[in-house]
Amino acid sequence: MKVSTRTRNRLGLGAALAVSLPALASAQTVTILRQQDSNKYDPPAITALSGSEVLFMMGDTLVALNEDMQTIEPLLAKSWDVSEDGKTYTFHIKEGVKFCDGKPMTAEDIAYSINRWISPELKSGVAWRAGDVKEVVALDDYTLKYELNAPYSELLYQLAQSFGTVVDKENVEALGADFGVTGFNGTGPFCWESWDPRNEMVLTKHEGYNWGPPMYGEGAAKVDKVIWKIVPEESTRTVALLTGQGDVSYYVPYIGLGKLRSMPNIEVVRSDAAFWTNYIGFKIDKPGVSDPAVREAINLAVNREAMAEDMFFSEVDPAYSYVSKGALDYNAEVDAHLIKYDPDAAVKVLEDAGWMLNADGVREKDGVTLEPVIYTFTGEWAKTSEAVQADLLKVGINMQIQPYDATVIWGKLATQEFDMYTMGFPYVSTGDALNLYFRSANIPSPNRMNWDDPETDKLLADAAAATTDEKRASDYGDVLLKVQKAAVWLPIYEKPMQVAYVKNMAPIKPHNIYGAGLYKGLQLAFTD
Amino acid sequence: MTMAATETPEPKTETASAATPAAKPEDAPPPRRASWGRRLMRDRAAVAALGTLAIICLAALFAPLLATHDPYVNTRSVMTPPAWQTGGDIAYLLGTDGQGRDIFSRLLYGARLTLLIGLISVGLGGFVGSMIGLLSAFYPKIDAWLMRFMDMLLSFPAILLGLALVAVMGQGAVPVIIALAISSVPDCARIARGIASGVMKMEFIEAGRAVGLSDAALFRRYLLRNCISSIMIFISLRFGQVILIGAALSFLGLGARPPLAELGMMASQGRDFLLFAPHIAVIPSVAIFVIVLAANVAGDALRDVLDPRLQT
Repeated sequence: MKVSTRTRNRLGLGAALAVSLPALASAQTVTILRQQDSNKYDPPAITALSGSEVLFMMGDTLVALNEDMQTIEPLLAKSWDVSEDGKTYTFHIKEGVKFCDGKPMTAEDIAYSINRWISPELKSGVAWRAGDVKEVVALDDYTLKYELNAPYSELLYQLAQSFGTVVDKENVEALGADFGVTGFNGTGPFCWESWDPRNEMVLTKHEGYNWGPPMYGEGAAKVDKVIWKIVPEESTRTVALLTGQGDVSYYVPYIGLGKLRSMPNIEVVRSDAAFWTNYIGFKIDKPGVSDPAVREAINLAVNREAMAEDMFFSEVDPAYSYVSKGALDYNAEVDAHLIKYDPDAAVKVLEDAGWMLNADGVREKDGVTLEPVIYTFTGEWAKTSEAVQADLLKVGINMQIQPYDATVIWGKLATQEFDMYTMGFPYVSTGDALNLYFRSANIPSPNRMNWDDPETDKLLADAAAATTDEKRASDYGDVLLKVQKAAVWLPIYEKPMQVAYVKNMAPIKPHNIYGAGLYKGLQLAFTD
Repeated sequence: MTMAATETPEPKTETASAATPAAKPEDAPPPRRASWGRRLMRDRAAVAALGTLAIICLAALFAPLLATHDPYVNTRSVMTPPAWQTGGDIAYLLGTDGQGRDIFSRLLYGARLTLLIGLISVGLGGFVGSMIGLLSAFYPKIDAWLMRFMDMLLSFPAILLGLALVAVMGQGAVPVIIALAISSVPDCARIARGIASGVMKMEFIEAGRAVGLSDAALFRRYLLRNCISSIMIFISLRFGQVILIGAALSFLGLGARPPLAELGMMASQGRDFLLFAPHIAVIPSVAIFVIVLAANVAGDALRDVLDPRLQT
């Protein structure tokens, strides 16, 4: 196992000496602790947070997203014009941007990267995020034309995501299947140095980087090295931060956050604009959960407030709406349809719908017993499912938990075998969330509910093509209200972004894009 | 294990017992050997181990009567420490887990499932394994084939086998039982074959053949009866190991499905609370330790008093 110079210094000298000898800490290496690795680092092919969080640092996108999750900032594009009909975007690209290998980056590279993202050969699961593209071409070295078949109000938000990260064509073609595995030539604030899968990813500072988003000020990264270190065990991550084996992490278990806050050498910062919702979805065409009354009763029966307090130590907020109230285009009408904890009402709803207790204490109707099978991730989700199971048992629903390891569950979740499933997801806006889950074209995955509704599809298409903010907000709002009324999900909690870091680091402002709390890594710096 | 292959057990037939010293009544009273039960009682460690095992088994058997709470019902009092610690609650003798469930009650139900998984898999593996061992000793023609197959099985670690089975069948007690049973088969087969080949050399087998007994009768009445006690001792020794591997598989998240309580799974769930509420992981771990230790000490003691090789 490699130990960073910084860590070695600390371990070797002990805390007292290290404080009195700040000069030794000159090799500025930040060790970021995280839970799991990605299987590769190819922007359009990777949809997991574990891939995006590193890609944001190694590469750049056309535009950036501010911490407020609303404002679009320039990144590779210094400015852009949108045509009257909302179909053509013209991006003016910054000059002087260089790849890590020193080669200048031009609009041609951006066009290549975006066309690669949406190319049918790559089969990217997130190609739809780029919109209904007519063509993306470089008009000259510093002008890019992005033409759509229909207006797409979400475009800039989607272009800020890691999927459109600019890659180097030569690099992609030279490495072939090993692209993003043995190397990655990007334009980001950090460059690929080495990757030891499931152990650590080492990035070095990109010298001369000065095209970062305005919110981070000018200039290159303030540290020489970033090490993304995998520490799968929750408690170990907490201890690693406490003992100085890591410098920063947003993967601290909820149970450890209180302890970390009380430590004099650790700072924990929080952002509520995180837009990350954990929910349990229902396959709405399966016997039992196909009955809206059953889904409503399940929503009534599960005490999410108690779960947030007891299992997550009040570090999360219980969720009742499918997207956070702070998200762009949230429909306030939904507030009247949120289903809160009321077990007595749950029993009443079930009995009114004809679900009666059988001899085993499980509800039954027309030969169907309420024993829905839930496919869940192991770890925290298995615990969440257990709490849900216990609550449901109290109203006569005998949920069966089937946990799967993260390596096999994605395949299992694309099947029609289960009645319920667990999932957490990051989003930038209401539209982002709804497009991902409720378009009929996204069946069987990620639309694992089999929500197949022409009206929803039409509203989503209208909203995406809307040329005014009001029209878009009203269409998305209608969809949100519709699915919320149908109770196709059981929202569990909204997760705020909490970043814990050692005190000798400069203050960190958590970002929330796709759950990547450190975003470009440009604010990482040591004070000593 | 290999020692067993050379032993010559005392055949429990008329002719054999006539050859023991007790056959000469005229002599001075022979130094009467104490019964095995008495000899077992003289071994204090064995008595303690057997007593512990008995108590645990009874507690597990009567779990529904002894449990103070429903082991599956969650409450709002999470991570309550054991009653004797500050902040403890006498209602929750051993405290509560991360979901507010009573650990004492879960321990009883957990021991029940853990013991059951151990018993079934050892029973299954022991039965199949000893049959294979006995048959291969009885029919030398298939001996090499069966034993090489057992060698092959022996090369599969139980944990790996469990992982593969769970990947195919999904998490649950059944794949764990199958994995543990399969992993017990080769060991039992080798031991059984060792014991049986010793017995096969005895004169009474030849005598049986000479009087024209059928293979089935010879196998059942002469071979099986003479081997069974030694095999049983080995199986009892295996029990502790199987419990331990079973708990390890559960700890890895391959065992019983939630909300069922299982000791390994309880320890695994407590792992996340290790820094803050160590009792959640420590209590089930201690329980596993005690069960395995008691099973091993008791198995050893039983072998000491029952194994014919050690009696002479």
